[in-house]
Amino acid sequence: MSSTIKPNAGIMDRIIYDDDIVKMFIYATIFWGAAAFVVGLLAALQLAFWPANLELEWLTFGRIRPLHTNAAIFAFGGNIIFAGVYHSTQRLLKTRNFSDMLSKIHFWGWQLIIVGALITLPLGYTMGKEYAELEWPLDIAIAVIWVVFAINFFGTIAIRRVRHLYVALWFYIATIVTVALLHIVNSIEIPVALFKSYPVYAGVQDALVQWWYGHNAVAFFLTTPFLGLMYYYVPKAANRPIYSYKLSIIHFWSLVFIYIWAGPHHLLNTALPDWAQTIGMVFSVMLWAPSWGGMINGLLTLRGAWHRLRTDPIIKFLAVAITFYGMSTFEGPLLSIKSVSSLAHYTDWIIGHVHGGTLGWNGFLTFGIIYYLVPKLWNTKMHSERLMNWHFWIGFLGILLYYISMWASGITQGLMWQAIGENGQLVYPDFVETVMRIVPLYWVRFIGGALFLIGFLFLIYNVWVTIKHAPKKVKSYVEVSPLKADVTAIGTGHRKLEALSLVFTVILFISVLVGSVIEILPTLSIYKYLPSSEKTEPYTPLELAGRDIYIKEGCYVCHSQMIRKLPFDVLRYGPSSTIAESMYDHPFQWGSKRTGPDLARVGGKYPDMWHLRHMINPREITPNSIMPSYPWLAAKKIDYHILRKKFSVMKMLGVPYNEEEVANADIIAEKEAARIYEELLSQDKSLESAKDTEIIALISYLQCLGKKNLSEGETQ
Amino acid sequence: MSDKDQLIKDHDYDGIQELNNPLPGWWLMTFYITIVFAVIYYSYYTFFGGPTSDEELAQQMSVISSEQQLAQETVPVKSEKDYLALLGNKEVLEQGKAEYALKCLACHGDKGQGLIGPNFADEYWINGDGSVAAILEVANNGVADKGMPGWKGVIPEETLEAVAVYIYSLQGTNPPGARPPQGEKVERK
Repeated sequence: MSSTIKPNAGIMDRIIYDDDIVKMFIYATIFWGAAAFVVGLLAALQLAFWPANLELEWLTFGRIRPLHTNAAIFAFGGNIIFAGVYHSTQRLLKTRNFSDMLSKIHFWGWQLIIVGALITLPLGYTMGKEYAELEWPLDIAIAVIWVVFAINFFGTIAIRRVRHLYVALWFYIATIVTVALLHIVNSIEIPVALFKSYPVYAGVQDALVQWWYGHNAVAFFLTTPFLGLMYYYVPKAANRPIYSYKLSIIHFWSLVFIYIWAGPHHLLNTALPDWAQTIGMVFSVMLWAPSWGGMINGLLTLRGAWHRLRTDPIIKFLAVAITFYGMSTFEGPLLSIKSVSSLAHYTDWIIGHVHGGTLGWNGFLTFGIIYYLVPKLWNTKMHSERLMNWHFWIGFLGILLYYISMWASGITQGLMWQAIGENGQLVYPDFVETVMRIVPLYWVRFIGGALFLIGFLFLIYNVWVTIKHAPKKVKSYVEVSPLKADVTAIGTGHRKLEALSLVFTVILFISVLVGSVIEILPTLSIYKYLPSSEKTEPYTPLELAGRDIYIKEGCYVCHSQMIRKLPFDVLRYGPSSTIAESMYDHPFQWGSKRTGPDLARVGGKYPDMWHLRHMINPREITPNSIMPSYPWLAAKKIDYHILRKKFSVMKMLGVPYNEEEVANADIIAEKEAARIYEELLSQDKSLESAKDTEIIALISYLQCLGKKNLSEGETQ
Repeated sequence: MSDKDQLIKDHDYDGIQELNNPLPGWWLMTFYITIVFAVIYYSYYTFFGGPTSDEELAQQMSVISSEQQLAQETVPVKSEKDYLALLGNKEVLEQGKAEYALKCLACHGDKGQGLIGPNFADEYWINGDGSVAAILEVANNGVADKGMPGWKGVIPEETLEAVAVYIYSLQGTNPPGARPPQGEKVERK
């Protein structure tokens, strides 16, 4: 608990801030940052040169891309958030953290979760939902640790010596409350095994909940906490007052209220009902000004310190970070316009957009904060200002190369996909042709990423030397005046609200709940209202086994299963996907990126042997393919035994299987597999070793895609 | 007014002060405009009869299918004689061979000897009579139950003709490891 030393004077309290926890989180930020960037660089290299996965299943793109995103967001981003929150909150509230014990549990718990992710994701244990890939034991751990963090934070608020909460703290509150809501609602899942579970939502429901979560992970994990950090560290580093208190109020509340609605912009032109798509789009457009409110307040706070932009690398990092925030939050609403989305969605433009935000805004803000905090915490000066400048310029160049190459790649490929000739046919019907065109840009992106990493290595070295030569630590106390008992002067209106932390938190919770409920609730009953002509067959046992392999290998990372209501999608892939087709999909696999073609109607398009050979070596079928080879699929045996359990969980979730199917799921699957295997063997006698292997299950899944909906069984 | 006069009294958090600047006018105007846009756009598409995404798609697809029809009509109908005339054209054969390597080789073998798919180098044909027109028909529309994909719309028409001519030219080349004959024997005239 807060270790207050009562001085004799009795007027001032002497306290010692807990800076050890801040230091620990800084170390963790740097450590996991390096890991996240290295894995990201490897993933980038694999798109330019697929054998960079060393033909090891644990290093294939489908498995390490989730590792990269989770490490970058939750390990690198998470740890700097916690470092900054623990450091600034104590000072803004003039008290030591509520509980050192909780701080430590928070720290070590979070690191263990990251280690868990580091182990399970490469092994293929995944929910198959972006930025929420971690399986149920880790999901529970995240929820528990987050609650520990919340208790510690709100406990600190409770014992504060400052009556009013500063704007940074509003953003921290928004983060803690909303991330808890998002994580818990999106992670409701039924376990099948220790590291396997199915989400309760299916198809379009799962898509909507997932992108409500996914988009707001960006909002409440990469935006609000970082805005909070900005509001503390920018005025501190620049020694300038905040530009506008009024702007803080207006942009804070409009941001948190509007952000939560914008998720469906990830599902534009899909089978999601029009009304929900349109909500996603218009709220994204309305989000532009609230986001820019933060940028304006940040940049104009630097007003009067502009001359330091030339001399102080910290100010450089902060100013560029805020500028990238402004760029990303202008680009975001732009991309959310339906027609722009039809060009950009599924392409690298989105990847560029995201990295403008993460590398530019989150990355550079983090670097600025580290360079500000390290000398303060270790009571010294940074070892080398020159290295800081080098880091800045190399990192900046890296981001530019990354951003520009992905813009060029995304727009090029998007235009090629869209191109329809005067004869009403696609101009580039061959998907791989559109891939070949952008591979050179993948190399440019790789170089950009490498530069960003090199810059970060300068930071690591600089911080390491700084800390090594720092003087022996002395615990120094600060004198603070106790909280005034007089509550008559707490102000009125919003000022009063800032003093009433509980009321503030409740109002915040309600404002993020409104959009969530209005969007999600109607979808939960959507399948009841499907016309009776729309009948969908649930997956057979072998198909379900194959689907779980599809999820395990992270196929959804590069392949969508959603033919949008756009002519060029229909010409290329067949009739647009319907809600009914994915109504038994726990989880949905609509995807968000097309590094390879859409697979929603791939069933029956090619023979089984084609798939077998293609999975083992895609280049045997498509000479220029950049897809990894999956030879291990033809070696690993199908786990038939677990299928009964899987079927019973699916039945519990409402998939119409009967008791007999559940009880015999494994036997049915074995028979199905034998049929496919015999047929393959009759064509090639050397395939004996493929008996009962995962590839048979995967083939059976791929062959059923687009064939399950009886009313639309005939597709081209 | 200097910043000093704008400082708000009692707003001091760990030394951070706040100014009382008003909301920038252009910013507020942007916010209002986006809100008005949102209301109008949403109302039009959701309540006041704006086209649904299905209607928009259907409209666009009907334009495209009429373009396709028109294109179909304007293409001169080629006879078997026209195709056979291409057999002497080296460029056409090269083009056909190159596309064959990208799309057909995987199943029919590098020399047309047949792998998953049937042999092209013998005189036996499963679908059609082995004429260029018949090969083209299969190449265009596929044989769904045998897993032969239809390449119509994926490979441009002219290229596909070149591929068919190239395949026609393979007969009698006796490649090693040829798949045994399937289908009906057809004598070439």
